[in-house]
Amino acid sequence: MTTLNDVRLMLVESATRLFADHVDDKLLAAAKRDGWSASLWQELERAELPLVSIPEDAGGAGGTLSDAAAVLRLAGRYTAPVPLAETGTLAAWMLAASGIALPRGALTAGPVRDADRVAARHHSGRWELSGTLARVPWARIASRLVLLADAPDGAIVACVDPVRCRITPGANLAGEPRDDVMLERVAAETAAPAGRGVDRETLKLRGALARSLMMAGALERALELSVQYAQQRAQFGRKIGQFQAIQQELARFGGETAVAVAAALSAAGVLERGGDALLAVASAKIRTADAAREGALIAHQVHGAIGVTNEYALHHATLRLWAWREEFGNEAQWAMRLGARTQQHGPDPFWSDLTAA
Amino acid sequence: MFFENVDFSALELPPPALKLREEVRAFLRAEVAAGSFAPRLGHAEFDAEFTRRIAARGWIGMTWPKRYGGRERPYLERFVVTEEMLAAAAPCAAHWAADRQTGPSLLRHGSDHLKEKYLPAIARGECYFALGMSEPGSGSDLASVRTRAEQVGGGWRVTGQKVWTSWAHRAHAFFVLCRTSPDSGDRHQGLSQLVVELKSPGVTVRPIPFMDGRHSFNEVFLDNVFVPDEMVVGEIGQGWKQVTSELALERSGPERYMTTFPLLVELIRRLGAAPDARAQEVVGKLTARLWALRRMSLGIAVALDPGADSENGATRTSIDLGTEAALVKDMGTFYEREIIDAARLLVEVEPAAATLDRLERYLAETVVCAPISTIRGGTTQVLRTLIARRLLGPVK
Repeated sequence: MTTLNDVRLMLVESATRLFADHVDDKLLAAAKRDGWSASLWQELERAELPLVSIPEDAGGAGGTLSDAAAVLRLAGRYTAPVPLAETGTLAAWMLAASGIALPRGALTAGPVRDADRVAARHHSGRWELSGTLARVPWARIASRLVLLADAPDGAIVACVDPVRCRITPGANLAGEPRDDVMLERVAAETAAPAGRGVDRETLKLRGALARSLMMAGALERALELSVQYAQQRAQFGRKIGQFQAIQQELARFGGETAVAVAAALSAAGVLERGGDALLAVASAKIRTADAAREGALIAHQVHGAIGVTNEYALHHATLRLWAWREEFGNEAQWAMRLGARTQQHGPDPFWSDLTAA
Repeated sequence: MFFENVDFSALELPPPALKLREEVRAFLRAEVAAGSFAPRLGHAEFDAEFTRRIAARGWIGMTWPKRYGGRERPYLERFVVTEEMLAAAAPCAAHWAADRQTGPSLLRHGSDHLKEKYLPAIARGECYFALGMSEPGSGSDLASVRTRAEQVGGGWRVTGQKVWTSWAHRAHAFFVLCRTSPDSGDRHQGLSQLVVELKSPGVTVRPIPFMDGRHSFNEVFLDNVFVPDEMVVGEIGQGWKQVTSELALERSGPERYMTTFPLLVELIRRLGAAPDARAQEVVGKLTARLWALRRMSLGIAVALDPGADSENGATRTSIDLGTEAALVKDMGTFYEREIIDAARLLVEVEPAAATLDRLERYLAETVVCAPISTIRGGTTQVLRTLIARRLLGPVK
């Protein structure tokens, strides 16, 4: 019942092989320069991985959100420099739920910042969008931006060509594009009223879930590298992995990584089943962000000075951990929301809320 | 690396477990309403009457085969009962060791005689066990035990001293890890497990009062105690393997992260509906960390469930979650302390053992017991060494 089903096992196996075959130091170095890896993206598209969890009749690859979660964990583990979460979990989800045909290519979604708004108004038979959006992931390499906009009669989902927007390139710590996007009466190519369940809150929850899963994977990567390094590096005439001081740190790192994996994957299941999404996703984002803080620093401490260099691979994982923990709400923001809700509900339902299915 | 084959996404409680949870909650509410026990934190309370009442409900040995008094229920249901008992701070010390450790060990390694003699009585809530592991010279280094058993006609003569033996003064019998052949260089060889009845001639139990004056620890002296052959658990010489084979469930259960949980509930009560931002953030963080640990613990319990066709109800051996289980204990025991500090720092409160104020009393009970959780069942440092060895493999 709780061991992986065959479909998931095959998916994990084939995605692992794809990432392992294609993501190497050279590809990551190039992506740091170019903002992403177009060649890796092509491979992922060929394997239909970006649209896992989007229904086949909507143009997706089928599967569940938990299937997509397994892929996102791997994308984090291989620090894949591509907009996998943005394309499937965010943009295609909004489009499919709103009955809009999926455009080809890499997609992104917005707004991602709570304060940002896109205003939509109907003008001569089409929707025009205006607004300023900060830090939209991958905007400059996406083929389309999928935006959740406020129209006079409620929210709409609209697809726009980034060429029509003013894009100011930016990047997160790992060099992943996080671009400011300005729209001035940009005509939507396609648009429709936001489908069932598509709202700003859910967009943010799904973004936070995706980053949690990716952080869990990146923690696994940083731990793997740290364990390997401790097995090989000798000081004082011994492998450093033989020193208890190093062992104790690696064990602590192991705990942070394991609990991050458990929390992020669990949250995907809760969201998929329609359970208490705030509890699950807030918990996952808080816990994986805490783990990112602890784990990344242990990884660097175990590595010593080599770990902080541009040539050694560790930074691909740690820079992402430090960037992703802030995206879609950091641990303080989610903790305040969760804590405020807990206090409003009061002490008596606390345990039953926590254990609700 | 971790949880390679555990499907956390699919981890949800099936309807029978949800129904059971409601039954346990209703039972505990009625118990508290009737004043049958006073919730206390810190030391688990020994209450034989309470143990018999929950045994009557079928909540002790519930995963064991029916022929030994069990109910053949899934591990998940035992998990639910355990966490409900902890959430209610119910007095479970009388059956704790037998339900969690002795019973499963007997099921896996014990003879038919031992199983028939003890398991049904444990499941009825009438027979209580203690654990004879530590000795004055063997704390973390358990394989160095010096209690010896010499073979004599029809059994063994056991001599030695055990220490930190919780509730030996109330239990009927205890598991004794002892040396049955001299140390031949491999210290894990030559150890055996025996069941020793605590009323046997030659057994002396002396209290070791805790720093708050309470009595649960004991030292137990064994002076040439005769133990018949039929009380040997498993194979002579295989004691080490037997002791370490079932640690995954023992290390990953809710008791590793929930023993201060009722203090968190009292803190939430004291903070009120709209506390300041700092309190909201701390409560939110504690909620998230508990949710995550619980998912991890639940995932292990379900993955280790041997399924309905199991012969002896022992954990599934094809899945190795030993590292993950040790990590639950390591992180869970520190999580419990985070609750203590949150209570201390967010509201004006002083720990007071004899007071009607529940928050003050819970704080007192948890503060003095806080050092124990990272010592018992393997210290944090030993546990982390073990975890690191599993992560690193042999480093040459």
